[in-house]
Amino acid sequence: MQTATETNIRSKSMSSAQPDNPDHAAALLSLVANEQSRRAFSELFAYFAPRLKAYATRQFGNEQTAMDLVQETMTNVWKKAHLFKPDRGSASTWIFTIARNIRFDILRKNKHRQYDLSADELWPVLAEQNESFNDDYGLDDELLMQQLANYCEELPKAQRTVIEMIYVVGKSQQEVADALGIPLGTVKSRTRLALQKLKELVQRND
Amino acid sequence: MIKFHPSEEYLFNYVTGELSPAMLMMVGTHVDMCPQCANTAQEMETALANKLFGQAQLPEEFEAGNEGFDGAAMLAEIMAQTPQQHDDKVVKLSNELILEGKRFELPATLARNHHRIGQWQKLIGKMWRAPVQVGGQDVLTMIYMAENTRVAEHTHKGNEATLVVNGVFNDETSEYRDGDIMFLDGKVKHTPETRQEDCLTLAALDAPMHFTSGVSRLLNPFSSLFFK
Ligand SMILES: [Zn+2]
Repeated sequence: MQTATETNIRSKSMSSAQPDNPDHAAALLSLVANEQSRRAFSELFAYFAPRLKAYATRQFGNEQTAMDLVQETMTNVWKKAHLFKPDRGSASTWIFTIARNIRFDILRKNKHRQYDLSADELWPVLAEQNESFNDDYGLDDELLMQQLANYCEELPKAQRTVIEMIYVVGKSQQEVADALGIPLGTVKSRTRLALQKLKELVQRND
Repeated sequence: MIKFHPSEEYLFNYVTGELSPAMLMMVGTHVDMCPQCANTAQEMETALANKLFGQAQLPEEFEAGNEGFDGAAMLAEIMAQTPQQHDDKVVKLSNELILEGKRFELPATLARNHHRIGQWQKLIGKMWRAPVQVGGQDVLTMIYMAENTRVAEHTHKGNEATLVVNGVFNDETSEYRDGDIMFLDGKVKHTPETRQEDCLTLAALDAPMHFTSGVSRLLNPFSSLFFK
């Protein structure tokens, strides 16, 4: 009875759009993220929670563990909706990856392997911070750059070309590989050899 | 261009988390380096999500199993919590590995697990190894081979997977470069070597390695030390 009434209310207030419509689900997530909209979250919950429950019951064969997975997944959706990036995939894919990670960690902890590789370390679905790596080789010291420019003359031509394209022109290693028509690995090893050589030159002349 | 990719089965099991921790690291690192496999993995995630969440109507057997499901109580409990706000802080992770005075850029999966990379040990010749402690039965190791280094011919009791993180190595059949992943079973003998370039690899092994040729047999006692 209650289900029928709920469906009735929902279909009246939400027109025909359902959370299985990707744009609608994404819009609901953004309402949760920006306005902590309870109505939007309730709609997402009504759609995703029973489906997650069905998935988790099949996975674990255990009612309580299945409920834990549903609760933990939907709690993340409520608390971390701001981490959903529509340009990277659909809302349902995002929710699936959250559930996948939680399942992975539940299985790991059930096996008492809490120090093993964790889901976050493998798939950073809910990484709060933007991942940013130091991939610039840290050569931003101006004096050092000038000094290095002189030493570059002493590098073999192939290495000098790569170094100039990366540090003077500012291309990425992949762009250099494409521009020169050589494998990325070759660009990387040339960069490495050149920086090694430059380091030796700097040390020798210090 | 990456020539050697993991099979679709490996990719699928990576997406669902159904591999050993060591193999998840191997495939994850390849996916970091390979736009093609990253794309396939993403398509698999989407397909799985569609399968789980796609049905407009829940099949009856699920509805039946959901009778004890008190959605309203759970919903109320969740919404009683305060949502988190956006955090613009950018944390720089260290993806730099310095070895023998050389700097390597680690792919994201390895960089996130930098803390799991153990002490580097010098082996025979110009080879170094470090354990990567991820748990599970398989052994995960980073191996660095300087230029012009050869590993004694050996076979494996089990399966070996090797991924090139940076550099080049060759064996009897091919040349392997950044991102290439190769799988060997216990029957294959092979002799990996580097030539003009050095090579940093990630290797997963599910049994200790056996050296087969002449003098190399003397190295057998080291094999446990090698891939432990
Ligand atoms: Zn690939």
